[in-house]
Amino acid sequence: MPNLSRSVRTNDETAAASAPGGFMDNGNTRKAFRFSPSLFIVAFLVLLALVLASTSFIIVDQTEEAVILRFGKYLNTVGPGLHYKMPLGIDKSFNVPTKTVLTEQFGFRTLKGGVNNQYQNNLTQESTMLTGDLNIVDVEWIIQYRITDARSWLFNVHETVRNSTIRDVSQSVINSLVGDRAILDVIGPERQAIENNSITMMNEKLKEFGIGVHVINVQLQNIVPPAGVQSAFEDVNKAIQDMNRLINEGKEAYNSQIPKASGEAEKAVQEAQGYAAERVNRAQGDVARFNSVYNEYRKAPEVTRKRLYLETVESLFAEEKGTNLVDKNLENFLPLKNLGTGGN
Amino acid sequence: MKKNSITLLVIAAAVVAAVLIFNPFYIIEEGNQVVVTRFGEIIDSSAKAGLHLKMPFVDVVTTYPTKVMSLEGDSQRIPTRENQFIIVDTTSRWKITDPVKFYESVTSIESAYSRLSDVIDSAVRTVITSSSLNDVVRNSNLINELQHSENFALGADAQEVQLSQITGEKVIYENITKGRSELSKNMADIASQKVPEFGIELLDIVLRQIKYSDELTESVYNRMIKERNQIAQTFRSTGEGKKAEWMGKLENERRTILSEAYNKAEVIKGEADALASRIYAESYSKDPEFYGFWKSIESYKKTLPNFDKVLSTDMEFFRYLYSANGR
Repeated sequence: MPNLSRSVRTNDETAAASAPGGFMDNGNTRKAFRFSPSLFIVAFLVLLALVLASTSFIIVDQTEEAVILRFGKYLNTVGPGLHYKMPLGIDKSFNVPTKTVLTEQFGFRTLKGGVNNQYQNNLTQESTMLTGDLNIVDVEWIIQYRITDARSWLFNVHETVRNSTIRDVSQSVINSLVGDRAILDVIGPERQAIENNSITMMNEKLKEFGIGVHVINVQLQNIVPPAGVQSAFEDVNKAIQDMNRLINEGKEAYNSQIPKASGEAEKAVQEAQGYAAERVNRAQGDVARFNSVYNEYRKAPEVTRKRLYLETVESLFAEEKGTNLVDKNLENFLPLKNLGTGGN
Repeated sequence: MKKNSITLLVIAAAVVAAVLIFNPFYIIEEGNQVVVTRFGEIIDSSAKAGLHLKMPFVDVVTTYPTKVMSLEGDSQRIPTRENQFIIVDTTSRWKITDPVKFYESVTSIESAYSRLSDVIDSAVRTVITSSSLNDVVRNSNLINELQHSENFALGADAQEVQLSQITGEKVIYENITKGRSELSKNMADIASQKVPEFGIELLDIVLRQIKYSDELTESVYNRMIKERNQIAQTFRSTGEGKKAEWMGKLENERRTILSEAYNKAEVIKGEADALASRIYAESYSKDPEFYGFWKSIESYKKTLPNFDKVLSTDMEFFRYLYSANGR
């Protein structure tokens, strides 16, 4: 034991020698550095100054305003920059983002923002509504708002329900506006009216609660019939396509037949004209020939008539073979003819 | 000098310690109010923000918010006057206006929720069951002022289709007398009568969402589907009708075109025939007898080779067959 204590002592002496100004709360060092009350006070004051400094300044971002309370009572509201306040909890400050545009989404959530946003859709407990004609519709929308009065925002509505108050008001307003319109109007032409009216109605309602926010924009996103009937709605679009297809089929048939018929008609007329030309030309030809022959005939009727007759019969018989010639004096002669030749 | 500062330090420390131990101060922050009780008895209440004094040890300060609080109503399944079940989701806002009464009758915020919830649920039920579905859903009679025109993307092919025959006549909806916001007010009025005894003011009851019950949803879906089917069918049969129209037009025009052509052709032919006939007649009538002879022999040339012939020597042609002098 003595051995050990001696070695400790030696160590202490070495330490004291090497660091004469150091604080060593040790039996040995007390001899070298006597406890000085002034040193304690200085240390205390330094500590106090640090605490005061750390609680005396607030930094307010460009997007924010800060509300300062003194002993819990509203003192003032300050803008961006570095500000002094009373330390040690005498002044309390609350930074409120009054410049930032805040957004609430209804019926969907952005899960991951980025170049390609990811959404969670079909939050039907928010989006399903009844329309005025007692149909069901799913409406998704967003609101954008800004805190206009930091003091009201902080102290008029309980901090746990500020957000839900805005959401509840927004939901009830949209539900009410949708409930006043027929489903087709909600999906179609009344969108704009709903957006515009909802801004006014939400602001009126929020003003009643003195929550200190102002809705600057309401945007309806998807307005669709509920999932169970979407295929029927789709089918109407398909039906329109079918209608167009049928109309086109009719037009196609018309277009394929009528020009053809016109062509056929033209053909018939042309053929008739051809026939007419031919008929007249032939008539004129025939007549011309007859006239020529007749002119000659008149000069020597007897001979010409005979000549014509004989020439004709000759030309007929010249090429014929197998014709039976029967003597006119043969009584009761029936020429045997193979009548079956022309038959089967 | 040194002694002096030590004394100062000790005094300061003592004061700080005394304040910390006895703490005669309390702070009411903006948005809060307090009830001060001494030995359980309420001696003061205040909503004035700032630093206040109290009696150390014996006074107890209970803080309540003056801020607007909210209450989520239960989703209730309630029948309307027509006995259609709907699911009504309400929310309401309230605040503590009389902290003394609140302290006496409710004490904690948590128990206030359950009291209010009972009051509000019952008010909602009372109002909904005595109202028609139209009154609950709609807010005004605006629906009858709107056009309900649906924009169909018909495309260029269907310009001739009249939309009125598709959208049908305008439906007139039953007029309502109260409407949603009026009913909300009624609910709030009924419920408000019961809450002042709690030191609470009820600001509103809002119908946040109204849904059909599941069974009703199913039948509404079916109705919506049928309604859409009807429109789809109208489009399809309109298309078929238009097609038939085109086919009819086609048949009409085709027949007209062809028959007109036939007419024209026959007229042309007839005129040509007449002209030819006149030409023949003019010429042949100069000597009908010779025409008869000439035409006959011309005709023999054409027709006779087609006959199987047995000729008699009696013919003029064979006149010199038996004798040089003829016959």
